[in-house]
Amino acid sequence: MNVSPGSGAPAAAGPRRGAPAPADGAMPVAGPSAGIRRAAGPVPWYRSWRAYAGLVVAAAVYIYGWHVTQIHLSELWRGARLIRPFVVALATPDVVTRTPSLQQAAAPYSYGGAPAPGAAGPLQGTGAGASLRLSRGAGASGDRVTVHGEGFGADRSGALWWENQIGQRQQLATFRTDAQGRFDAVITTPDVQGTRNQVIAEVVTGYGPLRPSQTLLVVLDRMVETVFLALMGTTMGVVFAVPLSFLGARNLTGHLPAGGAVYALTRTLFNLTRSIEALVLAIIFTVWVGLGPFAGVLALGVHSIASLGKLYSEAIESIDTGPIEAIMATGASTLQVIRYAVVPQIVPQFIAFTIYRWDINVRFSTVIGFVGGGGIGFVLQQYINLLQWPQAATALWMIALVVAAMDYASAVVRERIA
Amino acid sequence: MTSNGRVRDGSRRGPVGVPRPGDTPAGSADPILRVEHLSKVYDDGTRALTDVSFQVPRGEFLVIIGLSGSGKSTLLRCINRLVEPTSGRVLLDGRDATAADRDELREIRRGVGMIFQQFNLVRRASVLTNVLAGRLGYIPPSWALGNYFPAPVVAQAMRNLERVGIAEKAFGRASALSGGQQQRVGIARALMQEPRLILADEPVASLDPALSHSILKYLEELNRKDGITVLCCLHFLSLARRYGSRILALKDGRVVFEGRPRDIDEARFREIYGQQAEEVEIT
Repeated sequence: MNVSPGSGAPAAAGPRRGAPAPADGAMPVAGPSAGIRRAAGPVPWYRSWRAYAGLVVAAAVYIYGWHVTQIHLSELWRGARLIRPFVVALATPDVVTRTPSLQQAAAPYSYGGAPAPGAAGPLQGTGAGASLRLSRGAGASGDRVTVHGEGFGADRSGALWWENQIGQRQQLATFRTDAQGRFDAVITTPDVQGTRNQVIAEVVTGYGPLRPSQTLLVVLDRMVETVFLALMGTTMGVVFAVPLSFLGARNLTGHLPAGGAVYALTRTLFNLTRSIEALVLAIIFTVWVGLGPFAGVLALGVHSIASLGKLYSEAIESIDTGPIEAIMATGASTLQVIRYAVVPQIVPQFIAFTIYRWDINVRFSTVIGFVGGGGIGFVLQQYINLLQWPQAATALWMIALVVAAMDYASAVVRERIA
Repeated sequence: MTSNGRVRDGSRRGPVGVPRPGDTPAGSADPILRVEHLSKVYDDGTRALTDVSFQVPRGEFLVIIGLSGSGKSTLLRCINRLVEPTSGRVLLDGRDATAADRDELREIRRGVGMIFQQFNLVRRASVLTNVLAGRLGYIPPSWALGNYFPAPVVAQAMRNLERVGIAEKAFGRASALSGGQQQRVGIARALMQEPRLILADEPVASLDPALSHSILKYLEELNRKDGITVLCCLHFLSLARRYGSRILALKDGRVVFEGRPRDIDEARFREIYGQQAEEVEIT
C-alpha cells in the first residue's frame, strides 16, 4: 500500500494494523518526513484555523436562528393532540351524506284537560304501517306513560321524541324493536309549555342514496369562484401585458425614436410591480374596492401584467428574424409581416405562458381569500378558525385536486404547443 | 458581354465593352437589374460594400462568389432593400428601387423572389401556409387578419409544391421537413411571386453537399424553362462553374472579378479567395 504524500496520517497505520502485504507485492514504504509531507500536499481542512473559524461562525448563526425563530421541537409532540382531529378529518372529509328513510308513528298527548277530540281510551297514532299506542292520552308533566309500538321494522333501534305545540322536539328514550317489529317503553312526560303535544316514535329503516354534503356544495361554489377569479385576473394580465410586452422587447423598441427609454421604463415597471406580492396587492385593493373577489381579481391582474409582460417580452426578443426577412421580401405589408412571420412565432409561447400563469393564479387565489380577496380561502379560513376540521379537510382536498388538475392540464397543453 | 473575365478593383472602371453604369445601355438591351456605385456602411461602421456596379441581362444565371464576409449577402439584400444601401442606385426593370416609396417598394419586391441559406420558413406553420405567404404582395393586407387566401392562389401553391416534389407534405409543419425539403418549400414560396428575378443567398450552404445539386437544378430549371433571371451566392467555385452563366466575385465588399466561369484560373482563384485557399470540388 503506497500512501501518497499529503494524506500522511494513515501512512503509519498500514504496518501497525498488521495487515498482510498487499497482493500487488508493494511493500509498505516508510512515510516521508513530516516537513516534506506538509509542503507537498494541500493543507487538510482540519489543520486550517479558517475552517474552525467558519464552523464557529456558522454555529453561532444557526444557534441564534434557532432562538430567534422560536423553534421548540417539543411543541410538535405536545400539540399533536390538538391537530389530531384535523389529521383524522383529512381521511374523512365532509363530502357526502345520505338521507335516512324513517318509519314514524305519532300519538297525541294533552296537558291539562280532555284528551284530543275523537280519541278515547288508549290513543293510537299511525304512520307508514306502524302504529303507536299510549296507555293514556292526557295528563300533566311528570306522568309515567307506557308506550307500545307495532308494525315497525324488525330488530331495529329507534327513538321516542316529545314534540310540543310549536313543533320543538326533545328525545325521551331509545328502544329496540323485537322480531315482530314491536316495542314497549315507559316515558315520563316532560315539563313543557302548551297543551297539545305528540309522542313520536322514529325508526331508521335504511339510508337514501349518497348525495353531496352541504359543505361540499359550498366548497364547490367557492372553488368555481376561485377558478374564475384566477381566470379574470389572468385575462386582465393578458389584456395589458400583450401591448406592453412589445414596448419591453429590445428588438422592437430598438427601431423607435427614444426606444431605449421606452424599453427601460417598461422593464422597470414590470420589475417593480412584480416585486410586490399579490397578497399585499390584495390587501391594498380590499381597501380600495372592498372585500370580495373583485379585489382578488385586481390583485392577481396587476401581478400578472408584470409577470406576463416580462415573459412575453422575452418571447418576442427570442424570435427568429429569418422569417420576417423572408416575408418582407415577398412584398408583404407590415400587417402581413406581423401576421405571417411574427405572430406564428410568438403565439404558441404566449399561450403557454398564459396557461402557466393561470395555473399559478389558481393556486394563488386559494389564499387570497385569507385577506378578504374572495375565493375558497375565505371559507377555508372560517372552517379552520371554527375548528370545523372535516369541513376544512373538504376545502383542502378541493384545492389540492383542482390545483393538481390545473397543473397537469397546463403541462399537457404547454407540451402540445411547444 | 466581354468574352474574357477581367480582374479589376472597385475603383477602376470596368473593361472596355462591358456596359458600365452611366454608359449608354446600347450593349445591353434593357438589363433586368442594374446596380450603380452601391455602397453600404453598417451602423457599427463596418464597410460591407464599396462602390459596387454591375448589371444583369435578362435570363442570366449570375453566380456571386467570395469568402464569408465579402459582402455577398449584403449585396443581395440591398437589391430588394431588406438592407438599406448607404449610397448608390439599384434599378430593377428600369425602376429605381432605391428611391421607391413604401408602396412602390412592395410592388418591386413582389417581382423579386428570394431564397435564403437558413430557408427562413415559419417553422410552426404548415408547408402550405409558408408557400401561400409568397403571394402576400398580391393580396390585400387586410385579408391577413382572417388568414384568407383565394382558392386560385391555394391551387397555385399546390401546383408549385408539386413542381418541387413535396405536394404530399403540404399540410405538415414546415419544421417536420428535412433541410433539402425546406429549401424546396423556399423555392415554391419564391415561385408564388411569379418573379422575374430570383435572389438566392447561399441556397445550399446549410445542406448536405450531396443535396446541393438537387436544389441548384431547380434553380437552373427555373432559369432555363421559365426564363427567370437568377442571382445566386455560392461558396463553392465548383458549383459556381457548373451552374453560372457568369460569375461575379466579391472581396472585401468590392467586385474583383466579373466574367465567364472558365476564366477563373488558379491565379484568379487565389486572388478571390486568398493565397492559402485550396479549391474543393463538390460533385
